[in-house]
Amino acid sequence: MSLILDRVSYHYPGTKQGLEEVSINVQTGELVAVIGPSGSGKSTLLKLVSGLTTGHSGSIVLDGDDLSNKPVHHRNIGMVFQNYALFPHLNVENNIAYGLKLRNVPAPERLAQARDLLALVGLADYGARPISKLSGGQQQRVALARALAINPKALLLDEPLAALDAGIRGHLRDQIRAIQRRFNATTLLVTHDQEEALSIADRVAVLKDGKLLQLDTPARIYEEPATRAVAEFVGLSTILPVVVAGKDLIDAGCGRLHAPTGGRRIGSQAFALMRPEHFRPDPGPDAVNRIMGKVGARRYLGSVSRYDFHVEGLPKTLLGESKVPAVEAVAISPEHIRLLDD
Amino acid sequence: MVRGISLAYGVYLLLPIALLVLGSFGNSWTNSLLPSGLTGQWYRDLWIDPSFRKAFTTSLIVALSACAINTVISIPLAYSLYHGAGRRGSVAAKIVSAMPVAVPTITLGFGYIIVFNTETTPWLGTLPLLVAAHAVHTLPYLTNTLLSDLRHLDLGRLERAAATLGASTWQQFGGIVIPNLRQSLFSGLVMVAAISVGEFGLSNLLTSFQNRTYPVVLLQAFYGATGFACAATVILLLLASASALISSTVVKKS
Repeated sequence: MSLILDRVSYHYPGTKQGLEEVSINVQTGELVAVIGPSGSGKSTLLKLVSGLTTGHSGSIVLDGDDLSNKPVHHRNIGMVFQNYALFPHLNVENNIAYGLKLRNVPAPERLAQARDLLALVGLADYGARPISKLSGGQQQRVALARALAINPKALLLDEPLAALDAGIRGHLRDQIRAIQRRFNATTLLVTHDQEEALSIADRVAVLKDGKLLQLDTPARIYEEPATRAVAEFVGLSTILPVVVAGKDLIDAGCGRLHAPTGGRRIGSQAFALMRPEHFRPDPGPDAVNRIMGKVGARRYLGSVSRYDFHVEGLPKTLLGESKVPAVEAVAISPEHIRLLDD
Repeated sequence: MVRGISLAYGVYLLLPIALLVLGSFGNSWTNSLLPSGLTGQWYRDLWIDPSFRKAFTTSLIVALSACAINTVISIPLAYSLYHGAGRRGSVAAKIVSAMPVAVPTITLGFGYIIVFNTETTPWLGTLPLLVAAHAVHTLPYLTNTLLSDLRHLDLGRLERAAATLGASTWQQFGGIVIPNLRQSLFSGLVMVAAISVGEFGLSNLLTSFQNRTYPVVLLQAFYGATGFACAATVILLLLASASALISSTVVKKS
């Protein structure tokens, strides 16, 4: 049951905000996370797929069916909302069974299914409770069970963990992933939390200003971002404007550095992306790409320290991360400098 | 200081009521600070007075009819005002909220007298017209109660969730909106009933002798014995207090 978005565009009436020709294909059982800054159009994308917003151009095809003219209640897509949107007048198991009731499943059967799902999300004893007696994390799990109860063709998760404390977010993230795998649910997850996206998704789609910048595996999104915007949005980094000075040689303003330049012409401009964990603190004098400078602000993070490193001639400070912060020099291997064109 | 002011205000508010209750059990009360003698005579008189019994029934019929009409009109009205997003919708909602303050009952009453006193519409003094007037007068109160609950519960988000689970517009309305509005509907209706039962200005202008409401007949009582008037007022007071009490208990629970 694949979900294929092909050149989907949408504009909010009277504004330029919306989506521009976004194409994403989600394979059966795959979890694709859509990330981007606020206003990037990621929630709009989810609303279009669910049918809560209509009027797009391009096609959205689920399991071979074009959804364009299908009203929301005929799409059979399970959705978990950021604020859960559980029905306050129904108890926990009736919330979960609501979709089955609409499908005329007899009461004993639908309640039995609801209880099975409750057990699956670890809330077996909570069926008779009112919604108001549940914590945020419990409500989130009930919302997930309710969306799965209708045996949906696709699952949409709209910032499902955003309203929860950081402490339980990680645990719930793993639980959502495990349940999604178990149901083999074709899933689209929207989040502004890049760590959540990288850790949970099979592939990640990065949106900005309504455009899809990159759709790739988490590792490639992080290590080989297609554009500067992707690199800036995903993970921490230092991005410096550089000039290609020769074959695999760049000039960053503080001397020349070795870095793979690909087929770029000498004298052409580019941006060099460097991740903080790739800076080695105080390397030996013969190290490749040794950069002299002095350490600035340091933040102790437990397993590592993150520090600013001031280098004369550079337009901005370098961001490094290591067990022990650098004192007077850092080095970065050429393969860890990635040149980007824009 | 604050406690003193509260106490003074409480006395100011409750003293007349206490005196009414006292007066209703007093044997005679003329030219004195307090009534003299103790009697249940006035309540007995009230009970056997056919005009009061009839007026009491009329008031109940009018109030219940206004409740029924308002239920049918208010729910769809509040619902469409809630969903009528954008400027036009919110202007309409503001007009509905401001109506009870902006349109005094006497204005409404005169309007009815002019419109329904012609040969083609000779309905002045009839019970249906009185019911209609009460329904119009109390409609904004119920609509406002429902509207604020719709907003407070953010029912739109629950409807969207229901839609993704397969509920059609009607199923969302019947299965999600109505059940969640139960409490505010009930408390709003109690308020409608309380306002209707106590309403005087509009009723006084629109009733005929045959279908006078309780407050209209009550006015007549003041021309007779003081004790009788007090007893009649206490009955109205009890009715209104009971409504207010039920209403506030429901609101507190929700």
